[in-house]
Amino acid sequence: MTTRSTRSPRRRTVVALAVVLAVLAGFVVRLVDIQVVNADEHVQDSLNVAFAGKEKLYGTRGTIVDTNGQVLAGSILQYDCQVDPLLITQIDTAVLEKKSKARLWADVSDDVAAITGQTPEEVRQIVGDALAENSETQYAKLKNGVSTEQFRALADLKVPYLHCQEHPARAYPDGAVAGNLIGFVGTDGKPLESLEKSENACLAATNGELTYEQGKDGVVIPGTEKETPATDGGTLQLTIDRDLQWYMQQLIAEQTQNMVAQRGAILVYEVKTGKVRAAAEYPTVDPNNFSVAEAGDRTSSIFLDWFEPGSTFKGLTAATVIDAGGQTPESTVTASGLENFPGGVRVRDSFQHPAYDYTLTGVLIDSSNAGISKFSEKVDKQTRYDYFTRFGIGQGTGSGYPNERAGDLPSADQWGAQTTYNTAFGQGVTTTMPELARAYGAIVDGGIRMPLQIIESCTKPDGTVVKPEVAEPERVVSESTSAQMREVLENVFLQANYAKAVEIPGYRIGGKTGTGEKSDGNGHYKAGVYYTTMIGFAPADDPEYVVVVTLDEPTKVTSSAANATAFQKAMTQVLKTYRVMPSTTSPVLLPKFG
Amino acid sequence: MSTTALTAQGLPRRTASPDRAGAPRRRLRIVEAPARRRRPKLLYGIVAVAGAFLIAAAQMSLSLMTTQGTYELSSLAKEQRDLTYQKQILYDDVAGLSSPQYLAANASALGMVINEAPSYLRLSDGAILGPSEVAMGASSVDAIGRGSVANALITDTPLVTVPDATIGGLPVQVADPVDGGVGNTPPPMTDGLPTPSTH
Repeated sequence: MTTRSTRSPRRRTVVALAVVLAVLAGFVVRLVDIQVVNADEHVQDSLNVAFAGKEKLYGTRGTIVDTNGQVLAGSILQYDCQVDPLLITQIDTAVLEKKSKARLWADVSDDVAAITGQTPEEVRQIVGDALAENSETQYAKLKNGVSTEQFRALADLKVPYLHCQEHPARAYPDGAVAGNLIGFVGTDGKPLESLEKSENACLAATNGELTYEQGKDGVVIPGTEKETPATDGGTLQLTIDRDLQWYMQQLIAEQTQNMVAQRGAILVYEVKTGKVRAAAEYPTVDPNNFSVAEAGDRTSSIFLDWFEPGSTFKGLTAATVIDAGGQTPESTVTASGLENFPGGVRVRDSFQHPAYDYTLTGVLIDSSNAGISKFSEKVDKQTRYDYFTRFGIGQGTGSGYPNERAGDLPSADQWGAQTTYNTAFGQGVTTTMPELARAYGAIVDGGIRMPLQIIESCTKPDGTVVKPEVAEPERVVSESTSAQMREVLENVFLQANYAKAVEIPGYRIGGKTGTGEKSDGNGHYKAGVYYTTMIGFAPADDPEYVVVVTLDEPTKVTSSAANATAFQKAMTQVLKTYRVMPSTTSPVLLPKFG
Repeated sequence: MSTTALTAQGLPRRTASPDRAGAPRRRLRIVEAPARRRRPKLLYGIVAVAGAFLIAAAQMSLSLMTTQGTYELSSLAKEQRDLTYQKQILYDDVAGLSSPQYLAANASALGMVINEAPSYLRLSDGAILGPSEVAMGASSVDAIGRGSVANALITDTPLVTVPDATIGGLPVQVADPVDGGVGNTPPPMTDGLPTPSTH
């Protein structure tokens, strides 16, 4: 029972207790605040500041391989090295004050220079310049693109102010082989030209990340790793044969130099499948060292340039008049060296001759402009235009090379009087090498126009194979037209004046030459220099390969006979590479005059 | 319970409580010395403490085993990193050696030629197809004298067959200055006929 005498001591007790409880409540509130209300924030802070570890996982850029799987472009790691000038000055000060046993910068910089290939003065100047700009700076770029061996050597110096960061780079083990098609990447890894750039969606890798908690010394605490995996790029397979491409590049380089031409190119087209087996040109680019190539040589002029085809179009006109004009290889016309046509049109041959009774075969053998103009009158110009379009002239080929140029074929209603006849022998129209190869493939391979492609497939890292979209095969001329054209073109190579230069012993081949005029940029043609083409196919009885050889402004021999050696060697090499058997049948000689 | 002392003065004297008749008599007796407390068994105590230690030890060793793996992983990862560096260095060294221009330059330096059209032997009936020509000395391309397909990775790499040459070509022979007019004698043979090393 409480009495007055017990009340005041008990009140003191109660008050004391109340104070204690209040303080306790304060602590409890604070504890709840920390542990429950702001818990996530504090946990996050601890993870970020104390425990967090993060590592970037690099994906590797995809490789480019040739049709046999040989690597044409692969990925390597290079390193970008930098120094910390502030730390250098601090260490140097400590060494001079005898507080540290490290080596002086003057000493270390000699070793660094020996490893990176710079001179010691250059290295010291890098640090000196950085300190002159800002004496507290902690960053000065030493060298980019350091190789792994140099990087390990620098790491073995064990100096704390040298730091290297890896950056993925590209290596092209075969150098300039197919460099015109593959393209190259810049120093920052960004693709700059050709297929490296246009097929980036196939080749590019995405980086991933690895986050973990680390204890002392950076050891990963087990069970705390979280990984976003990196995805590698896919493998791009081309239809190009690497060894054949090398041979063609070496060959056309030698021939262009022999003929003192500005450029040369060779295209090898497999008619039955529509795949390009070699696309060589000179001059070209070595992707390992692209800056030494001229700006105009860093891409593929085969796919980006057009030219006036000249007499190679006589083959297309002949196929047209056989298919739609009821002509045969032995149909005749009378043509002299200079012919006049309605509308004031004059057509001249490349050599003076009296009126001959040329057969269609003879017109192609002698490459008579007047003769083919007369034959072209057997069909109307709209039909010829339609056939040219179906052969693919002026359409582009969809090969897969970026920004591929299409030829220029004006529509038939735009053909004036002169152009109507000029197009019969390939003037007044421009085309590209792939278009021409594909058109001749259609002429000689049963009349079916196949697609033309340089890209075989893109294989993603998970194994899915993506093939490019190619055109459907299309019939242009009939089978019998194609058979007759094979005979005609074979006779051209048997009876023309360059026949000895192009013959390949043991094989039946056929083809046509062309000498196109070059525009001087002011609406006139250059005098005395031409763009020469020679296109041929083998074996003549069942064609498998079409080879186009072009020379831009050859000066030693200015006509298309300049291409003969190159064509003969190129076709020989193609037949050897693909083990095409020698012919077992003899050609049928067709009459030149009727 | 209040510990306030009761002052003897303030309390009225109590009268003796009346005897309640008929209440059962409580038996009261003097308490003797308190009963001896039993000593707790030492064994149980030891078992309890030992158990606690055991549990602690087991937990520590388990945790040691789990973390031991991480240290091993860390050192293996370092080893893997070093090996990756070595692989990269070796790859850089041999990159370009498999390129066709290097192979062709090596072959041309030995004197091999790229032939013209070959002949084929048909095994079924022994027929020879093709021109049956002897390979003449000229090569259709000159891979060593006029090498035109560049490769920056191997520009200065010496050829395997002729270590003085690179894919750029054979070195130009400079005649040694003749001492005493004996420059034209061939070097003496010491180990028998010179033979190429083949693999």
